[in-house]
Amino acid sequence: MENCYHCGDRLPNPPVSFDQKAFCCQSCASVYSLLQSNSLKDFYQFEKNPGIKPKQGRKDKYQFLSIPEIRSRYIQYEDEKITRVKLSLPSIHCSSCIYLLENLSKIHDGVLSSQVHFAKKEATIVYQTQALNLSEIADLLQFIGYEPDFARKKESKSITKSFLLKVGLAGFAFGSIMLWSAPDYFGITLDNLQFRNFTAYLSFVVSLPVLFYSANEYYVSAYRAFRSRNINLDVPITLGIFALYAQSTYQIFTQQGPGYMDSFAGFIFFLLIGKWFQNRTYQALSFDRDYSSYFPVAIHRITSGNKSEIIPIEQLKTGDHILVRNEEIIPCDCFLLSETARIDYSFVTGESALVTKKKDELIYAGGKLMGVSIKLSVKSETNRSHLTQLWNETKDKKEAHQLVRYQDRISRYFLLVLIIIAFVSGVAWAFIDPSKIMPVIVSILIVACPCALALSSPFTLGNTLSVLGKNGLYLKNTNVVESLSEINTIVFDKTGTLTDPLAYQVEFHDKGMTPEEWNVLKELSSHSTHPLSKIICQQISRETHSIHLNKYNEIKGKGIEAENGVHKYQLGNEEFIGNSSQNNQHGTLFFARDGVAILHILIKSAFRSSIKELLSELGNKTVFVLSGDDEKDQPELISLGFLPEHCFFKQTPMDKADFIRKRKHLGDKVLMIGDGLNDVGALGTADVGIALSEDMFRFTPSSDAILDVKHFYLLPRFFHVAQYAKRVLKICLAFSITYNLIGLSFAITASLSPIIAAILMPISSITVVLLSSMFIHIKYWKQI
Amino acid sequence: MGMIYLMLIVSLCIAAFFLVFFLWATKNGQFDDDYTPSVRILFEDEPKTKDE
Repeated sequence: MENCYHCGDRLPNPPVSFDQKAFCCQSCASVYSLLQSNSLKDFYQFEKNPGIKPKQGRKDKYQFLSIPEIRSRYIQYEDEKITRVKLSLPSIHCSSCIYLLENLSKIHDGVLSSQVHFAKKEATIVYQTQALNLSEIADLLQFIGYEPDFARKKESKSITKSFLLKVGLAGFAFGSIMLWSAPDYFGITLDNLQFRNFTAYLSFVVSLPVLFYSANEYYVSAYRAFRSRNINLDVPITLGIFALYAQSTYQIFTQQGPGYMDSFAGFIFFLLIGKWFQNRTYQALSFDRDYSSYFPVAIHRITSGNKSEIIPIEQLKTGDHILVRNEEIIPCDCFLLSETARIDYSFVTGESALVTKKKDELIYAGGKLMGVSIKLSVKSETNRSHLTQLWNETKDKKEAHQLVRYQDRISRYFLLVLIIIAFVSGVAWAFIDPSKIMPVIVSILIVACPCALALSSPFTLGNTLSVLGKNGLYLKNTNVVESLSEINTIVFDKTGTLTDPLAYQVEFHDKGMTPEEWNVLKELSSHSTHPLSKIICQQISRETHSIHLNKYNEIKGKGIEAENGVHKYQLGNEEFIGNSSQNNQHGTLFFARDGVAILHILIKSAFRSSIKELLSELGNKTVFVLSGDDEKDQPELISLGFLPEHCFFKQTPMDKADFIRKRKHLGDKVLMIGDGLNDVGALGTADVGIALSEDMFRFTPSSDAILDVKHFYLLPRFFHVAQYAKRVLKICLAFSITYNLIGLSFAITASLSPIIAAILMPISSITVVLLSSMFIHIKYWKQI
Repeated sequence: MGMIYLMLIVSLCIAAFFLVFFLWATKNGQFDDDYTPSVRILFEDEPKTKDE
């Protein structure tokens, strides 16, 4: 067996073995043993290697859950006996996860029951209030690999229950009225007026809730559109609804027949189904995260008397002293109280090298501390920090910029043409037969009601959305498909987007190493737990014949040292070695013999392998790179195919957003693709902002779409799909307009009858739905 | 002819029954999660060896 029995990762040499099975690490083995001892071995039956490698967290990681304000965000119900809590568990990914999480009660007796919502990646857990507390639940979940996500997020806009009620009511009315109208269509009721009137009144009653409840969204939307003089398709729809209803009610009460009530209910039913299809989105993904989900939920505050207490970050005040520990995120703009701090700003500024800050310097919020704990003095609260302001600024801009959808552009002309036709036919009928003016105008409004037109866009774009989703690009809504099809300029972020944060390129600059000393370096680096040491260790392929070192000493955040009896060797940063020459490249590590650097080690993140082909596939689109880093990678960017004049370095988040704003003023349709918080402004400003993510269910900056890193190479093909969808949309629109014209020809000649409307409307809608689904899914059945 | 009135009322009642059933199911959360229950039903019920 080559992979870990629990999580499926590659096995190290030698693997951890337990119960005759091989594991990649001790934590996987302990989860296995926990499951075995609680008779949950079925976990390994449903999927192969279903486990998740648990992350080692610090012991008091979930201490903040004991603060009442924070706790109450997750608790749904609580009394002395039981507590019910709803947690978001982004690691849920397969049926084995459901099995394990729903059997939590077997692992811990305090848990009474648990239920998973797979699509939302949530678990609702009921436990005994006396036996367990929330932080213990979180620890347990973390131990078995499901680290809860406590960041606050907005409830994703999913299909609400009231919407389903609307659809249900409309469907009920549609079916019933159609059934009662059938005898009328076949002329059976002509000799029995009493029966005809009875069914007509019944139809009227049944259609009332459809008019007042099911269709109300359309009136609201049309009214808004009308007031802002921004005509959308809901305006002709509302006109049609009212014409249909008024005409039918008139016919019913003058006892002329059941009118168009069946078409009316059917029309609303189809429209609502279209809307339902359009609003099916990804429940577990969150596109509109705000800054609060990036920052920690709580922070250690140092009180007088040098004690620390945990408080929610909202309660931080200017002047408070706080403690931030290794790998924690700095929650607000602060002054450093400790001597030095090394901070990783790559996610915030795009700068890949660590930044060193000295005492009393200002530290901006959002950086991740690397190394020993530091004390800070709060300069401004989180919601006033530099990063948060950038975030809010772009949010306002995004709301101001409104996309005019293709469908809405068409509906303006549609409405205009409709009014002209109605007017002209009214005038014409004034000469032929003035008594028919009103009926003709009303029936024009009825048949012109753009049902098929209204369905073509949700179904075409909704199908495209699901095709793209299958290929790793998750769009926020269907409007993004339209914007995507028009893109002609693509802007890439460098750090984390073009480069792979998990792959490294190591350069050794030899300053007088002996062959023996390579072995010393390998041995020394293998003793360090620092990630950079591990990378160095992997890069040295020379054979180690048992080098013996002693007096190991690792100083967190600086380096490691040891002696071999003759010399003292050190591996670490310039501060550790004591080598502070000016021309050292930032981020260089040193290997020193007795305090003299004999090797410079430069670790750079490597570029993703697919970029060259990706760029060549993009065709005639203009491509830019905006990097927060310095120029050191320019030669490599050029060799990948970027134009030197299209690469910009040392870009602040503001610069990036401004650059995109300028391109948009030049008339370009800009797509921005980035991964970090420094791209938030640019992602928000661009026509389409795509956030690239290793793990979509974790934090991503707010954007229009989330792209799974594994599918990055498909980027050029996403444009083809979007353009194809646009063509399909046009075909469907042409079809539905043809149907409208056929209906109009009946209406203008005053020969429209309820039966024609009842046939034409469903046929046109169904054709459009079938056409759009077929065009999209047959073409992209297997791959895009 | 009286028969057809009866049929009409019956058809309306049946349709109304399904409507009410649908509304009840919606309110009850039957359409909240359309994936997990399909997996859950396949889990084997454990023989109760622990207690016996």
